[in-house]
Amino acid sequence: MSDTSIYVVKTTANQERSVANLIAQIARKDGYDIRSLLVPDVLKGYVLVESPAPEIIEQAIQGIPHARTVIKGSSTFDEVEHFLTPRPAVVGIDEGAIVELISGPFKGEMARVKRVDAAKEEITVELFEAMVPIPVTVRADHVRVLSKDEVQR
Amino acid sequence: MTEQACRECHRIVEGVVCPTCGSSSLSKDWSGYVVIIDPKRSMVAEKLGITLPGRYALKVR
Ligand SMILES: [Zn+2]
Repeated sequence: MSDTSIYVVKTTANQERSVANLIAQIARKDGYDIRSLLVPDVLKGYVLVESPAPEIIEQAIQGIPHARTVIKGSSTFDEVEHFLTPRPAVVGIDEGAIVELISGPFKGEMARVKRVDAAKEEITVELFEAMVPIPVTVRADHVRVLSKDEVQR
Repeated sequence: MTEQACRECHRIVEGVVCPTCGSSSLSKDWSGYVVIIDPKRSMVAEKLGITLPGRYALKVR
């Protein structure tokens, strides 16, 4: 099954999914040997395409709006495998860390992490500004861990 | 309209029940997007354990 490589198609920003859909459509309709397409959210302006050869993709993207070019060179499957297992949102957030809430009703508030629930990807924090330190549970991707410098300011 | 993904098999679902696994546990909170065209010959499909062509989310909350 190692007869494919991963090639990178450059797209207009925020059009990654629609470009992937259109390439898939054309591949099915015209029989291009493209086996899968991957749009990791961390990769802005790119679609990863699994195919045996870059020429196939170059042909397939002709006329697809927002698909720009196939970037020279290929990646092995191992090089892109990490995209398939997204990092849990709690990675890097430890108990005792000082965070800023960047989303939700407490946006802009600072807090200290009391508990981390990796399975639910939630953390429980105590807001600094609250009169009474009530624990609040928020989504782990709704906080930003402050660096030591930011905390001392 | 935000599309929903199946919490069980990660398929992007248009109705209220996942046509693949029959689950009705769907979520609008998903990220990462995958289109599988040829599951039998795709390394990505193999790694993700996907056996049916279609559109999938990498991560579903
Ligand atoms: Zn399902």
